[in-house]
Amino acid sequence: MTNDALRRARGRRSLTTLLLLIVACALAGGVLGAHGVSSKDARYLQSIDGPAVVPLLYLGAKHMVTGYDHLLFLVGVIFFLYRLKDILLYVSLFTIGHSLTLLGGALGGIRANAYLIDAVIGLSIVYKAFENMGGFKAIGIQPNTRAAVLVFGLVHGFGLATKLQEYALSRNGLVTNIVSFNAGVEVGQFLALTAVLLALGYWRTRSGYLRHAYVANAALMTAGFLLAGYQLTGFFTTP
Amino acid sequence: MTHSPVPPPAAAPPSLATLAKTTAVSVLVAALLLVTTVLPAEYGIDPLGTGRALGLTDIASPPVAPAAEPPKGAALVPVQNGPLGVYPAAFTFDTYQVALGPYEYVEYKYRLEKDATLLYSWSASAPVLHDMHGERAEVTDGVPPEQSFDKQNRREASGSHGSLVAPFAGIHGWYWENPGGETIIIRLTSAGYYTSAVEIRSDRSRRTRELRSLDALPLFAPPAGPGGQP
Repeated sequence: MTNDALRRARGRRSLTTLLLLIVACALAGGVLGAHGVSSKDARYLQSIDGPAVVPLLYLGAKHMVTGYDHLLFLVGVIFFLYRLKDILLYVSLFTIGHSLTLLGGALGGIRANAYLIDAVIGLSIVYKAFENMGGFKAIGIQPNTRAAVLVFGLVHGFGLATKLQEYALSRNGLVTNIVSFNAGVEVGQFLALTAVLLALGYWRTRSGYLRHAYVANAALMTAGFLLAGYQLTGFFTTP
Repeated sequence: MTHSPVPPPAAAPPSLATLAKTTAVSVLVAALLLVTTVLPAEYGIDPLGTGRALGLTDIASPPVAPAAEPPKGAALVPVQNGPLGVYPAAFTFDTYQVALGPYEYVEYKYRLEKDATLLYSWSASAPVLHDMHGERAEVTDGVPPEQSFDKQNRREASGSHGSLVAPFAGIHGWYWENPGGETIIIRLTSAGYYTSAVEIRSDRSRRTRELRSLDALPLFAPPAGPGGQP
């Protein structure tokens, strides 16, 4: 095979990977439903009157594990992190941001439009994928990555705080319940992170990792755009 | 986690042309998927007609199936047809009035099939303890036979207006208790797809009232014939 033919074959394979990733994202979107709390869980949330630590822990973890927008962002964040120290640093930054706005927003009764928040979350995935593609290096700017992760943590938490407030939660045991929910989100994040790291770790041992990294992040960016478009349309069309 | 391979040398950043091309393709693919599949399926927005062709718009607004006619004389179970619940017979209208002596209680409950609707209004001459609840017609192991519908059951109130969609087949209604020394009058008006009610008093007497559907009640005068002739 000539070099040219080899390159073309490689290009085709990259394209297949890209399409597969997009299909996987689309399927995940359809099955899981962005970021919402399922109707049965919602009814449960409205029925509780008093502290319910374990159920709220469970719902927080479930929210994180089944929230594909969170998962996509997490994939983007740790895509090029190899050292445990770095992974812990970035994930902690995200957690601090997330916890601050979730607790502050839900307890202080601050909320924003859920569609707008979700659109920003979609764009945060775009941002992270663009950075992973070497986009900022190419255009010669280097935003502070740590600050960005912290800010996106704040946005993600605020989105969740907004959604929690749509359910008329009883004031009785509210603080305990929101703290429990937040703790559950962290448990879920830990579980999701383990799964993502295992998958990435396996992929990293394959020779194709670096070659496909660019395409994989392009797919991630596409998913981010799709999510942002979906949410923005909701913002403009929902009265 | 600690077994991650050593980081490889950082890849050279892509050229600006590559980057622009990738971003453009990414936006295009996202826009294409959005317009052809996601918007039709989520919001019923279908500018290219692809959603209709692929059957995706049905997800945004599920089609209403042709109404299945419930058989005459069947139990009062609604056949759900989109937002409509269709019943085999007319609803029943009922009024109930009771005087509760000091510290007496009464339960008054309607027999409803699962998903059948009840509309009600009740008022009391003074605050009473109340609990709206249901009691299952069939008791199965592991399922509590009774379920309270009110988050704060047994609180004091002097009236309530509402509607109920029965979560299971059984008797659904109220427990009312006079918390004080004066006699209290309770008046209930309801309409719904039930055929009987049960009244249980403080002395443990249990009385079943058969109720007639509106079909059997003379509500209207005979209509005037053509030209005003009766």
